[in-house]
Amino acid sequence: MLAYVIRRVFHSIVVLLAVGLVAFSMFRFVGDPIDNMLGQERTQADIDRLRTQLGLDQPFAIQYWKFLSGAAEGNFGVSYRQGRPVSDIISERAPATLELAAVSGLFAILLGIGLGVFTAIRRNGIASNLIMTLSLVGVSLPTFLIGILLIYVFSVELDMLPSFGRGETVMVGYWSTGFLTKSGLVALILPAITLGLYQMTLIMRLVRSEMLEVLRQDYIRFARARGLRERVVNFRHALKNTLVPVITVTGLQLGSIIAFAIITETVFQWPGVGLLFINAIHFVDIPVMAAYLMLISVMFVTINLVVDLLYFAIDPRLRVDGRST
Amino acid sequence: MLRLTLVSALVCALGTSAFGETFRWASTTDPQTMDPHAVNSAPVLGFLNNVYEGLVRRGKDMSVEPALATRWEPIDGGGWRFHLRQGVTFHDGSDFTAEDVLFSYLRASSEASDTASWFASVSEVVVVDDFTIDVITSSPNPIFPDSIANWMIMDSGWAAANGAELPAKDSENHATLNTNGTGAFMLTGRQPGLKTVLEPFGGWWGDAEHNITLAKFTPIQNPATAVAALLSGDVEMINPVPIQDAERLSQSPGVKVFQGIEARVIMLGFPHEAEVLKYADDAGMPNPFTDVRVREAVAKTVNVPAILRTIMRGNAEPASQLVSPAMRGYSVALAARPAHDVDGAKALLAEAGLADGFSFGLKCPNDRYLNDEAVCQAVVSMLAQIGLNAELDAMPVRNYWPELRNDNYDMYLLGWSPGTFDAEHPIRFLAATPDADKRLGSWNFGGFSNSRVDELLPMIQSEVDYAKRQAMLDESAKIIQDEHAYVPMYVQPLIWGARENIELTQRPDNFFILRWVTVN
Amino acid sequence: MTDSARQTQVTAPSSEPSRLKTVWESDFGYAFRRSPVALVSCLVVLFLVLSAVMAPWIAPHDPFNPVTLNLMNGFTPPSTPNAFTGDSFWLGTDDQGRDVFSTILFGMRISLFVGFSAVLFAMILGVTLGLIAGYAGGWIETLIMRVADVQLTFPAILVAMLIFGIAKGFTPVEYRDQMAIWVLILAIGLSDWVQFARVVRGATLVEKNKEYVQAARLIGRSGGAIMLRHILPNVLSPVLVIATISLALAIIAEATLSFLGVGAPPTQPSLGTLIRIGQGFLFSGEWWILLFPSVTLLSLALSVNLLGDWLRDALNPRLR
Repeated sequence: MLAYVIRRVFHSIVVLLAVGLVAFSMFRFVGDPIDNMLGQERTQADIDRLRTQLGLDQPFAIQYWKFLSGAAEGNFGVSYRQGRPVSDIISERAPATLELAAVSGLFAILLGIGLGVFTAIRRNGIASNLIMTLSLVGVSLPTFLIGILLIYVFSVELDMLPSFGRGETVMVGYWSTGFLTKSGLVALILPAITLGLYQMTLIMRLVRSEMLEVLRQDYIRFARARGLRERVVNFRHALKNTLVPVITVTGLQLGSIIAFAIITETVFQWPGVGLLFINAIHFVDIPVMAAYLMLISVMFVTINLVVDLLYFAIDPRLRVDGRST
Repeated sequence: MLRLTLVSALVCALGTSAFGETFRWASTTDPQTMDPHAVNSAPVLGFLNNVYEGLVRRGKDMSVEPALATRWEPIDGGGWRFHLRQGVTFHDGSDFTAEDVLFSYLRASSEASDTASWFASVSEVVVVDDFTIDVITSSPNPIFPDSIANWMIMDSGWAAANGAELPAKDSENHATLNTNGTGAFMLTGRQPGLKTVLEPFGGWWGDAEHNITLAKFTPIQNPATAVAALLSGDVEMINPVPIQDAERLSQSPGVKVFQGIEARVIMLGFPHEAEVLKYADDAGMPNPFTDVRVREAVAKTVNVPAILRTIMRGNAEPASQLVSPAMRGYSVALAARPAHDVDGAKALLAEAGLADGFSFGLKCPNDRYLNDEAVCQAVVSMLAQIGLNAELDAMPVRNYWPELRNDNYDMYLLGWSPGTFDAEHPIRFLAATPDADKRLGSWNFGGFSNSRVDELLPMIQSEVDYAKRQAMLDESAKIIQDEHAYVPMYVQPLIWGARENIELTQRPDNFFILRWVTVN
Repeated sequence: MTDSARQTQVTAPSSEPSRLKTVWESDFGYAFRRSPVALVSCLVVLFLVLSAVMAPWIAPHDPFNPVTLNLMNGFTPPSTPNAFTGDSFWLGTDDQGRDVFSTILFGMRISLFVGFSAVLFAMILGVTLGLIAGYAGGWIETLIMRVADVQLTFPAILVAMLIFGIAKGFTPVEYRDQMAIWVLILAIGLSDWVQFARVVRGATLVEKNKEYVQAARLIGRSGGAIMLRHILPNVLSPVLVIATISLALAIIAEATLSFLGVGAPPTQPSLGTLIRIGQGFLFSGEWWILLFPSVTLLSLALSVNLLGDWLRDALNPRLR
């Protein structure tokens, strides 16, 4: 067991380093930060001086190494654009993204499981067929368009919900939260729906197919034969048994919620790390881009690792496989 | 009556934001720093004009007017003497004196600053007394007071106390997030990229025209989101309004649109020095754009009225020279653009031995100027009418300047807004033969070179007599126009949107000045 | 190798024409005929694919030929003569005076081409690697699945942006416009192969311990032959389902990338690029520039999704 864990952690670190290398090699092609940092009246001498000052004249392997050794000490450098430590900027922005991700994740899970169970039980009903089809409409349009349409309908035409931003936030220690004000809560609705729609559909479909699978099992038939009430059978026996794969997939999806937040945050001007990243690309703010990509991969690799280890702990059959791999 | 005054004075002193008018506005770009000397870019300088002040400032019509200096006069032998305003205090209460001006000169002209080029002609700044200061220039510089409206004065004591004596470009210092100016507004909250809050400065020396008690700025990048925010009343003002939305917005209830002409001229540029075309189908084709007839043919083919009518939706004015009519030194006699004349263009091409046309590459930014990519697409289809087949490569501006600097283009789109609001500016940057040592022609990517233009430039720069100066500017503009060094197309429009109850003034440099805003 | 060659010879003669009929008359065919959703979505997909393929012949204008464009035709509303030129367009024109109907046909061509190629690329890559990983085991499996982890670590959108950025850097400028399409295919395909690999590897792990595989191994079949001829056919149905859903995803992903500014260039717009351009006109009253491409994309992606959905149920015998 310990050996397996150590090996997996080692693999994860290698993965991280590889990701960092790929990401770093990309920065050369994103553009030249210098032009964004100097004004219209700059000269070639200014350009050369700044390039040397930022270490951009060095080979990217050396730049990567510098970044890594800094990152190991929790120092991600200073943003070219804002001139402030990247770690400060990211910790300022992270609560916005995490709160949005949490709410849309919750939305996706609750609605996804509920609708999934419903459509599985009423397998051939009109309502469940309608839900199945409508949920596909949601994933058949690009997220940015859904977001813009939601703004158009609910902010501009109906004037019910705010069109952008987080509303009023309250500082709780270092954490700025939108959960404690009315405007903060209202501002969450549209972005959370936009972001969670895809995951909601995915979870719903997964729950439905797992439920259908389980409902055919003998023990369910047996439970029914025993005269247990339909609700008990459906929820206590069937749903419980579908939850393991659902939890796994949801865990992996949580990561992609944060990644897809890039688009939602851009559309809704949501002041999170996704928007920060898009801006960083726009202004070729290499330290911010590097830190964001690194953090995202740390998060994903961790989720992956935890899921793998959970599997290993839960499923004894995998232990045999685990040894052979 | 007296009591009323007392009460209002008390309210002012307390600076309460509980009542009064809150004003929220949004723009596409966040000012990247609060340091007035660290970055020479319009979003930063425009925003900080509300917080800091210069010796002079620009009025509603862009004319230069007294600010921290009450008057100024030239000194014999080159330079200017500025008489400073007395009784001015910074936001933290410290007094404004000539020492602060000297300090701000040293700070703004230092190596670490991005604004050093404004002081290229300055050899020394001398404090005469507490409220008199001399700026010595190496040769007479008639436009110096005009060129320093954005040179903002910072409190020397505050900077020293907070370790911000020098601007910081790639690191943080106190002045990146905090300010201490003399302007009508003071910074009370700054979250970069999220929100910036300003409140009126009770001790400002001027008379407030505005009735704002609290102003909040938020950057909104996605234009559709910004328009939605204005329509739904989540903000009171946005800048810019996407051109296509201007008409619809002006008809929407509760919203109005402010239109003006910006200082920026959008033009096409050519490679003047390249031997061969880079992106021709038959590789290594000799560069046809060195032939003035070919450049003229391009100028005649680009149907500017059509671009203005459709893509710009009637919101822009055609341009005939490198500056717009609103700039000082504009050549009135050269106001006409070449007429749209496809047959004439074909004849010129035939004369140049290129009747069959040729193919080449057009470079274009897609996030720099209003509808830049759409304009380039339109230019491509227009040039196709005379057999010039352009391969369009549109890219974000972050990739664009490096491409131009590496000469990777056969034709390119450029917008130029003269920082000095003077016709001399584009000649210095776009038409003078490039010379790194003399800091000339640094944006003249194509390497246009004309000895007479080079000869005229230093004379223009030091000519004190207005008529003589204008004659030389006219001569330069005429040469540039006749040579078709560039194809100026139009002056970029300035479109702001605001709620109905907002009164504001739109300045041609696209600076949004809060002290001219009233909320009704 | 010789074994597999002999095997091919033995099984090769099979009557092609009757195969379609066999499928139609099978359980699968029956389920298809009985499902109105499947029939309709299949027809819609066929219709859209066909019109995209036939675009050069049925489109009234060639939106890629700049000579035929007249800027003055810009923003003509649907089926209304333009005020300046008098030209009329069925679905109106966009800001460049391009016929919206024609750009949709050509745009769909690009979207479908990108979608199909990306999925094909992802499928070939994923299935091959999945088979190898599942069958070979050992360090090969570890390597492949760790690479898959890297891929999963990076969300598809980010992977695509990375690849787009790098490929653009390596491409000579004069080929960039043409390259954009291939880079998109590569980017979307590369971000999508993991799913195939995971499913195929899982199925392979199960299959390889079954008796028939053991038997094949006993009689001396090579690994390649076993994978191709025995294991592959047994994992094809999940692969087909994933491929169908991936197609819809790829088309949407292309649109999303275009919103982030790394999609097909506006001179050769895909449906996604058209929507990106169109969303700028949502408030200005030119609704047709946004609506028609969006409806087309929606019908395309929705039908493909519905088809994939139905396919999953139909190919899962336990659910029947």
